[in-house]
Amino acid sequence: MTRDIPDGYVGRPMLRREDGRLLQGRGRYVDDIRMPGVRHAAFVRSPHAHARIVSIDVRAALELAGVHAVVTGADLVGEVADAVVSPPIPGLVPTRFEVLPTRKIRFQGDLVACVIADDRYLAEEAAERVEVEYEILPAVTDMFVALADDAPKVDDRLASNRVVHRVHTHGRPDDQERDAAFVVETEFHQQRQSHVPLETRGCIASWDQGREHLTLVTGSQVPHPLRTQLVRRMGLRDGQVTVESPDVGGSFGQKIALYREELIICALARRLGTPIRWNEDRLENLQASCHAREQWCRTRIMADADGRILALTLDIVEDFGAYCFYPANYIAEVVGIILTGQYRVDHYRYDLTVALTNKCGVGPMRAPMAIASWVMDGTLDALARESGLDPIEIRRRNMLSAAQLPYDMPGGETLLDVNIDETMEAALEHIGHARLRADADTLHGCGICNVVESTTYGSRFYKNSGIGGSGHEAARIIVEPDGTVTGSVGLAASGHGYETAFAQVVGDGLGVSPDGVAIRLGHTDAAPYGMGSRGGRGGTAGGGALYECARMGQEHLLHIAAHMLGLNTARNLRMIDGRVEKLVDGAWRHAGVGIADIARLAYFDPLALPEGTRPGLEFYRTFDPPPMTFSNSTHACRVVIDRHTGQLTITDYVVVENCGAVINPLIVRGQQIGAVAMGISGTVLENMVYDAAGQNLSSTLGDYAIATACDIPMIRIHEKATPGSRTPLGLKGMAEGGVMGAIGAVANAVNDALAPLGVRASRLPLSPVYLHGLIHGHAISQH
Amino acid sequence: MKTRVTLTVNGQVHDVEIAPHYLLSDVLRDVVGLTATHVGCEQGVCGACTVLVDDRPARACLTFAIQMEGHEITTLEGLRDDPVTQALQQAFHERHALQCGFCTPGFLVTLSAWLKEATDPTPAAVRDLLTGNLCRCTGYQNIVEAVLSVAATECGR
Repeated sequence: MTRDIPDGYVGRPMLRREDGRLLQGRGRYVDDIRMPGVRHAAFVRSPHAHARIVSIDVRAALELAGVHAVVTGADLVGEVADAVVSPPIPGLVPTRFEVLPTRKIRFQGDLVACVIADDRYLAEEAAERVEVEYEILPAVTDMFVALADDAPKVDDRLASNRVVHRVHTHGRPDDQERDAAFVVETEFHQQRQSHVPLETRGCIASWDQGREHLTLVTGSQVPHPLRTQLVRRMGLRDGQVTVESPDVGGSFGQKIALYREELIICALARRLGTPIRWNEDRLENLQASCHAREQWCRTRIMADADGRILALTLDIVEDFGAYCFYPANYIAEVVGIILTGQYRVDHYRYDLTVALTNKCGVGPMRAPMAIASWVMDGTLDALARESGLDPIEIRRRNMLSAAQLPYDMPGGETLLDVNIDETMEAALEHIGHARLRADADTLHGCGICNVVESTTYGSRFYKNSGIGGSGHEAARIIVEPDGTVTGSVGLAASGHGYETAFAQVVGDGLGVSPDGVAIRLGHTDAAPYGMGSRGGRGGTAGGGALYECARMGQEHLLHIAAHMLGLNTARNLRMIDGRVEKLVDGAWRHAGVGIADIARLAYFDPLALPEGTRPGLEFYRTFDPPPMTFSNSTHACRVVIDRHTGQLTITDYVVVENCGAVINPLIVRGQQIGAVAMGISGTVLENMVYDAAGQNLSSTLGDYAIATACDIPMIRIHEKATPGSRTPLGLKGMAEGGVMGAIGAVANAVNDALAPLGVRASRLPLSPVYLHGLIHGHAISQH
Repeated sequence: MKTRVTLTVNGQVHDVEIAPHYLLSDVLRDVVGLTATHVGCEQGVCGACTVLVDDRPARACLTFAIQMEGHEITTLEGLRDDPVTQALQQAFHERHALQCGFCTPGFLVTLSAWLKEATDPTPAAVRDLLTGNLCRCTGYQNIVEAVLSVAATECGR
């Protein structure tokens, strides 16, 4: 399906309509919304990583004037159901946990009690007056220690801390070893990170006692799935709850789960009958919202004398923290599924293990599978070093050509619509072949990373992987009585520019100017039930649904127009910019009727409509994407390392990307650069550190460093786009591959620089301390 | 215990009743009712809460409101008619220098003050200045380009 409208709006770099309000400081984030009579919440959190709650004394807190309630776990038993994560996935241990712990806390920052007061200052003061007696238990903060038989158990209900063990085998990888000229094992260790949206979490819940209706205003990526969880936990019906996500100050995967804090606020709003707000502070956000990415991988590659892959195996161990807000296999599983990218691998196995520890719970963060590209191309680089073969030549020899696609990947998905063979050659041209030599002060390296980015997951993927749930998206388009258009889709924006890009999509699909199209998102009453914004699905799933809905709308409008023009068919009609045009002698001419005329008829003069046509102009359409869509890219960078200090500088950075047809190139470019920046930040700076007792040592933005303007180089981006073959408009999705490529390109470049010294960096972040230790042969712990 | 304080914000005088430990950021947002000043960390790191105190950038989250008597506070709302700020807003718009927009007011306030005094706004100087403001969305590249485009015009000098 491709666009058949000349000079359409899709593909134009239209400036964002969101910018006007945001640049004036007139955005409407959760904390900007004022509600009369609202009360404020603050949470009492555990100072220990692992402890039994012996007693909680709330009397001193309640004595303060203006404090209305102090609620502990015991108070909510029976009022709010446990979180249950138990999809029928072999090798996944079902888990459940209370909304507010009654017996035991599992990490530093875990919830103990909630205070409701007249203002936030007072609520925090009262929270400090809550006396909690703890019996401190030994904490486990290392995932390998957690997997030992004698480790302290994070969840007393479970037999061990091992919540996932799954193996997927394709072919006979072990049998290939006897034919292998080279067998190389390589380790990769990605550190714990967090999303750090500039706007922390927060919410306002209000309960309308008369209507028995709950309204939750919260920055969410997935308003409808959040509502589904909320009604289940609170014993309500879908129609009793409205979830509204206003302007959101960044999310990056952190704003998907229904967190315990939001649920407690909702329950207390219902119980107390007053609106309640909670604004998370940065300390809470870094300690207790959601962490990500802590994974250890070991690959074993078997190759023939020419560097052709005979077999590949991957062991992956992930630290999931103290609570499972998601099925604990799913992040590591996607790494295993897509690891092999556009390389031909006939024999393959991945082996997943996920452990609970006494640390903050883990969830998806922009490119949950981020480590995959580093692991794959880092493995090929290790093979190159071992074999003496050229690392680029090894990539070429194992690369699937266009003629070999679609290709059934050994991980189980079908790869198509990718062209890394082209993006890699282009990236090599752009980064140049100059080979800088190490000198007494500096080491120089060049790194290449090929990325296959799984962008949009259809329902078939969820079914096949056993996760369950849907990958569809839903769109509604209303042609209003005045002829303007309102489009909505079940996504929620947090900087994506959907209001602009989707107006372009509706503009082309319906045949109107985007100026007359309003896009309403992030509201369960305004938008149809959809699966929300996650991964790279927004453009493809949401844009695809809107486009198909709009096409359906145009067909209906033209049917009415034909009747108005006295024609018995709409075959020779089309709509452009809200005007009906008629094909006359091979040329399109204005037919004298427009969308406003049609709308007037449909709403106010329905008897003038064609026979059998009902009044009104509302359209609804769902779209379930193919099982998986793929974008691809090659990242190439050059680095310099100061031998004396270990300081790493990225001196050049190039991306050549194929993310299919693009709705708005300005927005896409911004997403590409932002993704690379997040990847670089995670590779060189970010580190969520716990000490052995389970104390979080990274609880301020001074301690948890994210990239500043001086840490990110100028990023040069080039396109080698081919359209998606199975999606509306040829869309594929994007915005996560940049993270994947940045990790791999920078780490591979650093290892290229270190190669003359015979050492290899296997751990992130690539901090000066770590690199200095590798250069000078004395490993200094980063922790 | 609350006390009466006179604050001058964007040229307007506000008599407010506040406790001594109330942060300027909270008072601007919750008492005066100006919500362009955003609170991203309350740790003085992210820069989202940057306002001008006597025309110099300051962290509203590290300032007690009670300290501000006798000082002129300017928030992004107060820079509405400032030509440098307007030029920055236009350049941010045209170069897609914002995504979620939460950090943006802090960037604009910081930059509006700096551009009035900067003598040689090179890319390196702009990046160095911006280390005081965190953005998690854009990777800074388009922000730097927007600032340089304004610096190159007359009103940026």
